[in-house]
Amino acid sequence: MSRSRPGGAEPRTGRPRQGWRDTVAALPWIGPALILIFGVVLFPAVVMFVNSTRDISISGVDKGSVGLDNYVEVFSFPYFWPIFVRTIVWVVVVVAATVVISLGLAQILNKAFPGRRIVRLAVIIPWAASVVMTTMVVYYGLEPYFGIINTFLVDVGLVDTPEGYGWTRNPDTAFAWSIVVAVFVSLPFTTYTILAGLQTVPGEVLEAAKMDGAGPARTYFGVVLPQLRSALAVAVLINIINVFNSLPILKVMTGSIPGYDADTIMTLIFKYIQNQHKVDVASALSVVAFVIVIVIVAVYVRVVKPMKEI
Amino acid sequence: MRKTHRIGAAVAIAASATLALASCGFGGGGGNGGDDASGTTLDLLVPSYSDNTQGLWEDVIAGFEEENPDITVNLEVQSWDNLESVIATKIQGGEAPDIYNGGPFAGFAADGLLYDVEEVTSPETFSDFQESFIANEQLEGTTYALPFIASARALFVNNALLEQAGVAAPPTDWDELLDAATKVSALGGGVAGYGMPLGSEEAQAEAAVWLWGGGGTFGDESEITIDDPSNLPGAEQIKKMIDAGATQADPGSTDRSPLMDIFIQGKIGMQVGLPPTVGQIEENNPELDYSIVPIPTQDGSPMTVGVADQLMAFQNDGDKQEAITAFFDYFYSADVYVPWVQAEGFLPVTKSGAEQLAGEEALKPFLDVLPDAKFYPSTNAKWSAADAAFKSLFGQLQTKPAQDVLTEIQAQVDAG
Amino acid sequence: MAITVAAPGLEPIEAPTPSGRRRTYTEDQVPLGKLIVRMLAGLIVLLVFILPYTIMFFGSVKTKAQIRSVDPTYFPTEWHWENYLNMWSTPETPLVQNLISTIVISVFATLLVLLVAMPAAYYTARFAFPGRMVFLFLVIVTQMLQPAVLTSGLFRQFVALDLIDTWAAMIFINAAFNLSFAVWIMHSFFAGVPKEVDEAAQIDGAGRLAVLFRINLPLVWPGIVTAIVFTFVACWNEFAASLVILSTAGNQPLSVALTKFVGQYETSWHYVFGVSIVAIIPVVVLFMLIEKRLVGGLTAGSVK
Repeated sequence: MSRSRPGGAEPRTGRPRQGWRDTVAALPWIGPALILIFGVVLFPAVVMFVNSTRDISISGVDKGSVGLDNYVEVFSFPYFWPIFVRTIVWVVVVVAATVVISLGLAQILNKAFPGRRIVRLAVIIPWAASVVMTTMVVYYGLEPYFGIINTFLVDVGLVDTPEGYGWTRNPDTAFAWSIVVAVFVSLPFTTYTILAGLQTVPGEVLEAAKMDGAGPARTYFGVVLPQLRSALAVAVLINIINVFNSLPILKVMTGSIPGYDADTIMTLIFKYIQNQHKVDVASALSVVAFVIVIVIVAVYVRVVKPMKEI
Repeated sequence: MRKTHRIGAAVAIAASATLALASCGFGGGGGNGGDDASGTTLDLLVPSYSDNTQGLWEDVIAGFEEENPDITVNLEVQSWDNLESVIATKIQGGEAPDIYNGGPFAGFAADGLLYDVEEVTSPETFSDFQESFIANEQLEGTTYALPFIASARALFVNNALLEQAGVAAPPTDWDELLDAATKVSALGGGVAGYGMPLGSEEAQAEAAVWLWGGGGTFGDESEITIDDPSNLPGAEQIKKMIDAGATQADPGSTDRSPLMDIFIQGKIGMQVGLPPTVGQIEENNPELDYSIVPIPTQDGSPMTVGVADQLMAFQNDGDKQEAITAFFDYFYSADVYVPWVQAEGFLPVTKSGAEQLAGEEALKPFLDVLPDAKFYPSTNAKWSAADAAFKSLFGQLQTKPAQDVLTEIQAQVDAG
Repeated sequence: MAITVAAPGLEPIEAPTPSGRRRTYTEDQVPLGKLIVRMLAGLIVLLVFILPYTIMFFGSVKTKAQIRSVDPTYFPTEWHWENYLNMWSTPETPLVQNLISTIVISVFATLLVLLVAMPAAYYTARFAFPGRMVFLFLVIVTQMLQPAVLTSGLFRQFVALDLIDTWAAMIFINAAFNLSFAVWIMHSFFAGVPKEVDEAAQIDGAGRLAVLFRINLPLVWPGIVTAIVFTFVACWNEFAASLVILSTAGNQPLSVALTKFVGQYETSWHYVFGVSIVAIIPVVVLFMLIEKRLVGGLTAGSVK
């Protein structure tokens, strides 16, 4: 065990000839994690793959293999491709908006001003609150008749029907509001990651830039942003996975809308399970979703290389 | 099937071994599981009807366990939203509850999971059910479920709004309804004439109100017929109501419960409601001046949508027949059953219960229309798929042609 | 000694010369005008972020009827504080037990994650070995699976283990599914500690565990804190698995208990909102206690 050299950077350069023994030496350290992952996640994941090739009755009884029929059903569903495109739009828009807003927020929170601690705590709340509840409250506020947000819009004259507008009743507005909520709940984690990254920007570098006569904008884009790159890269990766897999927001905001004009792959999986009780098709779609997210992540990792360190 | 099961089992065992390894010293947390060695345990899975439900069942169970000290009943209450995915998960895991309160039973029956309920009730209990309800639980001569509670629908009318709009009497047919609703809508100020909930919550019920009211049908135990010419008049009439502005905004995506809240607060002229609606009005806005009348139909002939929820007994290991029988016999005895039904505000399904509640003023309008009730074809194993298709597609009537919507629903049913 | 601790995923930054003066806030000579602009910006941020929770809070002190009023008012007209007392003894669900369940499950799952993720993160950041990338990839893959579909497999598995309807089951599940981000976050922090630190300690004859706990840990504390927060919040709000694994009302966490207030035709919104507010508080308090370490701790470690 003591033979392996310490040092994270060193072995990478030397394309080492470590062997089997090094892996064995690593086991006491990574073993518990492997046991936990394999012990809990492997079986359900296998069940998901197996279920995707079975015929499972609405009450949950396995009726035997159907080969790839469930996949055929997934891809022959007339709304599949629009939903696929909407899923990509959902991920790209939510993650992009989250990053841009978080960069601004982190700047504000990084500046000194009285009461900053309170503001920082407030930014944390959407992270602490469950996503379902945050969404519920926005949904409730947006409802015609009951909703306070709708009342406000009526009072300031932006909506001219006295009971308010059905924001959550129409696919386009409901989807747009879902994006707003999704960005809102993604901000705390992203902002804090950037904020932590900002702390590591050495003061001297900023001083030097200032002395070179660089304006605030040039300093930010030329000095600060490059330093944030890797922090941001991991935050974006985690956001991509989370946003892609996000179900509760769209489920609540678009739940009462008929048809499939506001669905993403995740809500479609949910509809297969919850409404149609097709666990088999839902599993097949989940496998498809799994492949899609792996591809997205792979492309992202290729292009952005967030894991240089890893 | 066998083979994958074995592989599954092998993986599960491997997983168990690793976990067992990981869990040394990690005792089971708060579970109070573990069957009593001496007696029988019954697992009861039920949905939540209202904030009373959990307490009502606890009372039933307490009374039952006192009479049957060797039987323990484990209660699990879930919201309607989660109920069906929870039971599907349990069945997949081979852990079906012993007694289940739910909607359509046909899927479970088709999979051979249920007891013939005549085997788990005493003849006295069984003969106490009203025949019309029992008939709805039968498939090819076998009774798979016990009717539990029933509801019928009727039109709730805001008398004040109708009067204000100059409508003399509550409507009885579609033309009058359209006329009255248009007039009430014209009052303005956020008031809607007819509350039409076609959103996913209970689209199938509003669909039934209109399609059946126009002489349509959803099919029978052997066939589901949504794309049927007889259903078209009802669907067209819905569109007519929407186009005339006789309904609230966005009927296609409005759910039933929030809409009823608006009716209760006097902002909607007319809406179809159920027996529990009476209690809701009593609780939230007792001042509301309203009446309950039969649902208007195309030609004014009486019709209502009847729904009976069910209690089912799962076979599982087949060794709890006696305990289940004891439970059903206890629950359906009038002293236990009637207070339960009364508290939740539904209609009784037993003869003895109906006798006791015959004098109830609040239930009278519903008991009156009950003889004309039509029921969902819930004995058809495909009804579940039809129900889901209505929920997710019927609201499109607001924007799509009626025929297209019916065709799409039928297609989804046939595919399921 | 010049030591840099990187933020999650940051490459270690070359430590600047120790003489470099940190730009700290208090030292900044901020003109009053600028300060006011900042405070205004801060105020706007504050308002936006608490708005939904203010609506939630106002809802929690209304009556059931007031919440569903078609003439909503911006502020409650009557304040029904008793909602916060009554909700603990409602017939729908034993809320006190639900709160205890949530706490127990979240605390133990977080501890388990720490225990398991820390060595793995440390070792993979420090030592190269065949299969290291595979391991890190495997870890992140668990995050990409859709929980709603995994529940049926989880249910069968924990029935087989005879752990169904126990806290232990949910502790394992929460720990397993939150392991990945914890490993990743901590990994990137460990990677930020220069290897010389380890080497020096090992020359002094310290065992590897001692190096981890005595030398590295204090340096990566902010990373640990980030991982704790991330894991704890995720466990605190977990729903999909708890719904099927825990069937006894008293064992269920708050996230599942909330659904009990949703009836077929009526929902007790005032309690739903009240419970949600109560559920936020412990997490915010946790944040309050460690906020300084989360961000400030980084600063402390970065340049000495």
